[in-house]
Amino acid sequence: MTDTIVSYLAKFGPFKDLLEFLTESYGANGPTLFAFLIFLVGVIIIVTILSTIGGLGTYAERKISADMQLRMGPNRVGPYGILQFLADGVKMLMKEDIVPKDVDRLLFFIAPMLALTGVFGTLAVIPFSSGFTLTDLNVGVVYLIGISSLVGLAIFLGGYASNSKWSMLGGMRGASQIISYEIPIVLSILAVVLLSGGLSFGVITRAQGGWPHEWFIFHNPFTFIGFFVLFIGSLAETNRAPFDLPEAESELVSGYHTEFTGMRFAFFALAEYIEVFVVCGVTAALFLGGYQVPFNLGGDTIWGQLLQLGAFFSKTLALYYFVIVIRWTLPRLRVDQLMTMCWKYLIPIALFNLVGAGVWMWLFKGKSLFVLLFKSGTAAAGIH
Amino acid sequence: MFDLTLFFISAVLTVIGAIMVITTKDLMHACIYLLASFLGMAGLYLTLGADFVAAIQLLVYVGGVVILMVFAVMLTGGPHAQKQNKFGMIKTALMGNIRTYTIGGLTAVVVLLMMVKLYISIFKNYTAGELPNYLPTVERIGKSLITDHVLAFEISSVLLLGALIGAAIIARPRKNRIN
Amino acid sequence: MMGLASYLIISTILFICGVIAILARKNIIAILLGLELILNASALNFVAYTRFLNNSIDGHIFSLFIIVIAAAEAAVALAIVLRFYQIRETVHIDDATQLQG
Repeated sequence: MTDTIVSYLAKFGPFKDLLEFLTESYGANGPTLFAFLIFLVGVIIIVTILSTIGGLGTYAERKISADMQLRMGPNRVGPYGILQFLADGVKMLMKEDIVPKDVDRLLFFIAPMLALTGVFGTLAVIPFSSGFTLTDLNVGVVYLIGISSLVGLAIFLGGYASNSKWSMLGGMRGASQIISYEIPIVLSILAVVLLSGGLSFGVITRAQGGWPHEWFIFHNPFTFIGFFVLFIGSLAETNRAPFDLPEAESELVSGYHTEFTGMRFAFFALAEYIEVFVVCGVTAALFLGGYQVPFNLGGDTIWGQLLQLGAFFSKTLALYYFVIVIRWTLPRLRVDQLMTMCWKYLIPIALFNLVGAGVWMWLFKGKSLFVLLFKSGTAAAGIH
Repeated sequence: MFDLTLFFISAVLTVIGAIMVITTKDLMHACIYLLASFLGMAGLYLTLGADFVAAIQLLVYVGGVVILMVFAVMLTGGPHAQKQNKFGMIKTALMGNIRTYTIGGLTAVVVLLMMVKLYISIFKNYTAGELPNYLPTVERIGKSLITDHVLAFEISSVLLLGALIGAAIIARPRKNRIN
Repeated sequence: MMGLASYLIISTILFICGVIAILARKNIIAILLGLELILNASALNFVAYTRFLNNSIDGHIFSLFIIVIAAAEAAVALAIVLRFYQIRETVHIDDATQLQG
C-alpha cells in the first residue's frame, strides 16, 4: 500500500538515515526537502525514459511498417538502425528555425510547449509500479483527462497560428475530433470507476489481479465492449490512423504542423508519440491489470517492483505495437464518417455500457463473470 | 513551504491572466490568457484543499470551455473580423475603445468600492483559527451529492441535457431562412 | 500570506476584470470570456469560505454547480453566437437589435 515513490522509498533503511540526516541539517523542512529531491530525481528519470521511448516509437513505427511492406526500414545508424531517432533529433536541432511571415508569434511559440506540457503532465499519475508512481492522486483519472486535453488545444493553436490554409483545416479537424472523442472515453472510464469504486489509478489497479480473468476487461461483457470503445477513442484522441485527419498527408500536406520546423516540429512529433504511450499505459492500467503480477511475486521488494515494471511495460508496449499495426493496416476515415462514428455509434454504446455496468454491480454484487461461472471452486476463481 | 510556492505561482498566473484578458487586443490571445487564469484557479483550489473541484476545473474549463471558445472565435471569422457592420454605420472597434473602457473602468471602481465596503469587516475582524488538514474530498462530495443535494444534482443533469439539445438546435444551419 | 484575505482579493480582482470585460468589449465572445471570469471568482469565494470559515462540504458542491452551469452557459451562448453570425455575419454586440432570428 504505497502511494508515491517517496512513501515507498521511505521504508528502506538507508533512506531513513538520509532522512534523519537531512532533518538534522535543515531543521523541520528535512522531509519536505527529501520528498522534493526524490520527486526531482523521479521526474528526471521518467521524462528521460519516456522521451527515449517516444524516440524509439518513431523507429519502431518505421521498422514495423517496413516489415509489413517487405522493405528494409532504417538500417544505417547503429545496430539494425536503432539509433536512427538520435540522428533525426540531431538533424532537427541543426535545422534552420523558420518562422513564416504573418504568423501569430505568441501562439506559434506557445503551441509546441503546450503540447509537451499536456503530455508530460499526464506522466505524474501513470502507475508504472506500486512503488514507482510519481503521485497517486485521489482524482487521478479526472486529472489525466483534463491535463491531456491541453494537447488538443495545442494542436488547434498550432493550426491557427501558422496562418496557413492547410494548418487551419488540420487544426479545426483536430479540435472537433478531440472534443467529440473525449465523451466516449470518459464514459467508458466511468464504467471502470464504477466497478473499482475509486478515481485514483492505484485503487483501480489494486482492484484487479495478476491473472487475465481478474482484469477488468474480462470482468463482465460491458467492460469487454468498453475496452474497445476506450481503445478506439484513444486512437482518435492521439490523432493516430485511422483517425489521423488533422495531419492527413494526402489532403493537408502535413496538417497542423505544416509550418513548423526544427525543434518545434520535433516537440509536436515527440508529444504525439509519448501520448500514444501514455494512452496505452492508461488503457493497460484501467482494463488490463496494470502493474499487477500473478501471485504478487516479489511483493514490495525491489525485485517485485522490477517485475511490476516489466508487467506494466510489456502490456503497454503490446498495445503500442497494436496501435502501429492498425496505422499501417486500415485506411483513413472521412470527416463525416469520423463524426458519425463518434456521435452515432461510440457514445450510445458507451452510455449503454455505463448503465449495464451499473446494473451488473447491482445484480451480482460486483462479482466478475468468472467468479459467477465457477462459483463452486474458489481456487479456480483465483480469489486470493 | 510547498503550499506557499504553489499559492504564489497560481495567484500570479490567475491575476496576470485575468488582467491580460481585458487588456489584450487580440481575441485569440485573450482566450489563451483565460486558459492561464483557469490553470491558476485550479492551483488555488488545490491550496484550499479542494482536490475534486480543482480536477473538475481542469476537466471542464481547460478541456472544454476554452477549446469551445477558441473554436467559436474561428467559426465567427477569426479575431480579425470586419470592424464595422454591413451598413458601415458603426466604426467601434470590436475589442472596445477609449469610451467603452472608461465606462467599464468607472463601473469597476463603483463595484470595487461596494466590495471593499462588504469585505472591510471581514478583513478587520477575521482571525485565522486552526485550519483543518487537507483531507480527500471526493467521498464526502459523492455522498453529499446523492443524499443532501440530490435534487440539485438531478436538476443539473436536466439542465445539461437541455443545454445540449438547445445548443444543437440553435446552431444548426437553416439555409432557407437566412435573409 | 495564505489567509482568507488574499483569496478574497484575488477573487475581487477576477470579478473586476470580468465586469470591465463585459462592459468594455464589443465582441460577443470577449464578453463571454468576462462572464467566465465572474463565475470563476464566485466559485473561488465559495471554496475559500469553505476552508476558512466552516469546513462543511457544501461550498464545494456550490462550486461544482457553478462550474456545471458555466459549461452549459458557454455551450448555449456560443451556439447563439454562431447562429447570430450565420444571420448577420458579425459578432458585434450592437448589431444584435432584433429578436427575430
